[in-house]
Amino acid sequence: MRAALATPKGVAGLVLVGGIVLLGVLGPLLAPYSPTQQVPGANLVGPSAAHWLGTDDVNRDVLSRTLAGIRVDLLVVFLAVPAGAALGMLVGLVTSWWKVTDVLTQRVFDLVLAFPTLILAIALAAVIGPGTTTIVLVVVAIEVPVFGRLVRTSLRTVREMPYVEAAQVVGARPWWLLRRHVLPNSLEPLTVQLALSMSVAVFIEGAMSFLGIGVKAPDPSLGSLLKDGTRLMYDAPFLSLGPLLVVVLLVLGLLLLAQSLSEAHRD
Amino acid sequence: MLRYVLGRLPSALGLLAAASLLIFWLMRLVPGDPVDTLAGPDASPEARAAIRAELGLDQPFLAQYVDWLGDVLTFDLGRSFVVGGQVSDLLAAGAVNTVVLTLTALALAVTLALVTAVTAVVAQRRWLDALLAGINTVALAMPTFATGLLLVLVFAVVVPVLPSGGTPPDGFVARPDIALQYLLLPATCLAVPVWAGLSRFLTEALRSQLRQPYVTTARAVGVRHRRIVLTQALPNALPSAVTVLGIQFGTLLGGAVLVEAIFTWPGLGRLIEEAISGRDYPVVQVLLLLSVAIFVVTQLVTDVVHAWLDPRIRIGGAA
Repeated sequence: MRAALATPKGVAGLVLVGGIVLLGVLGPLLAPYSPTQQVPGANLVGPSAAHWLGTDDVNRDVLSRTLAGIRVDLLVVFLAVPAGAALGMLVGLVTSWWKVTDVLTQRVFDLVLAFPTLILAIALAAVIGPGTTTIVLVVVAIEVPVFGRLVRTSLRTVREMPYVEAAQVVGARPWWLLRRHVLPNSLEPLTVQLALSMSVAVFIEGAMSFLGIGVKAPDPSLGSLLKDGTRLMYDAPFLSLGPLLVVVLLVLGLLLLAQSLSEAHRD
Repeated sequence: MLRYVLGRLPSALGLLAAASLLIFWLMRLVPGDPVDTLAGPDASPEARAAIRAELGLDQPFLAQYVDWLGDVLTFDLGRSFVVGGQVSDLLAAGAVNTVVLTLTALALAVTLALVTAVTAVVAQRRWLDALLAGINTVALAMPTFATGLLLVLVFAVVVPVLPSGGTPPDGFVARPDIALQYLLLPATCLAVPVWAGLSRFLTEALRSQLRQPYVTTARAVGVRHRRIVLTQALPNALPSAVTVLGIQFGTLLGGAVLVEAIFTWPGLGRLIEEAISGRDYPVVQVLLLLSVAIFVVTQLVTDVVHAWLDPRIRIGGAA
């Protein structure tokens, strides 16, 4: 894994993701205004020294809103995805031990994965209402079957290995087998999937907030800023450029990390 | 071949049945009462009860479900709670727009993917490979809403050459040239991620075919590189590419919701968005079920096309 991250792609990915994480974490210190503060007299002004990314139609500083918006995506990427992954792996591991629970769980996973992601998101948002919590829940709901499947596949592959059968013959406990053989062998595909899922999570946050079922106004997120940008496209075409660049660079960084990890895995 | 297809049917139908129950249950969890929307704030309790009975909402859950399922199976989709018209009419109007949009996007993506993948593998130029791989990664990193926004900004706001949204005023048939102008931006937006995934996979599949022993043999007897790619590697790479396309097709539906929102395209994606915010149960239920049905059918069709392209499955009957 360390070798993978030392490739040009790996370094580029780390720099992009690391840079945006830093911007998000240090956001409150760097931002010239509060994300919801209305600056008197600054209505839809273009990029300038006072407002690097301009201001929106209710006089809010877009740079400050972008920095605050990054934090929503960091929450979704670094909290919701790992939570969904952990839960999915736990469910996958436990249920695949017995035939009945295994078949049942796989059918439930099939069912969840049969819904297009965004349509599932809209349906869930209709039931529990829009908000950041809804985005987190949607991401968790989608990642649980993905990681449940993944861990089940590695589990089945590893279980067929002669050394695992040998370990079972000499009386190894299931939990020991998991820790000693199954998890280390699944580590590579899991890290690749983790990076991919994180990029998908940025898509989901963006899409949900763009459609108005994500973060609630006036709080910003990268998706809601692009929604504002679209609405004000003819009055201020520059508004969406900053948040747009951040979204694309964040996803690009995560994809590069996933690619470098999977290429190292293949070699 | 027929047995192969029939063998897949039970699990597909089972999935649909389970999905229909889940959808029906989910819609009952949505907060808010459609009777409120219909009756208005000043309705008397008697009027409210009458509306409730008319819609069948006073029945127990399972009875409502069985009733609804029977209606769906006989294509009696009922009336929209909010708009009032027949659900089937709403669906038909939206479906035409969405089908035209997605098929155009699909055709665009498949053509471009074939052209780029085959060109890269035939040309064997380092700079071309690097360029295409670069474009590909950026395309994968562009969320649909970002692509759409950028396309509108560039081609409708900064250089206003194409309409920023809406469907062609004269329909798709009367003036195909104008229809194409309206279709170009949304279809491109929808096609970008499909192209990126498919061309990346196809390039990789073609390269792995070129490492096979049969290609070495063909080279040894003097068959040209271009001919090997087109007549040997491509037919062998296509079956798995179809499977990848099948998976991509599923994401197309989700993408359509976004693209229709950005380009104010009145299709099924807009319909489901509006129906959910208006708590229009009959419309939402049918659309959710439709999206799962499309997924299930796509999977079936993908398997069939895959089997048809791959003689080992076509003749053997099992894989």
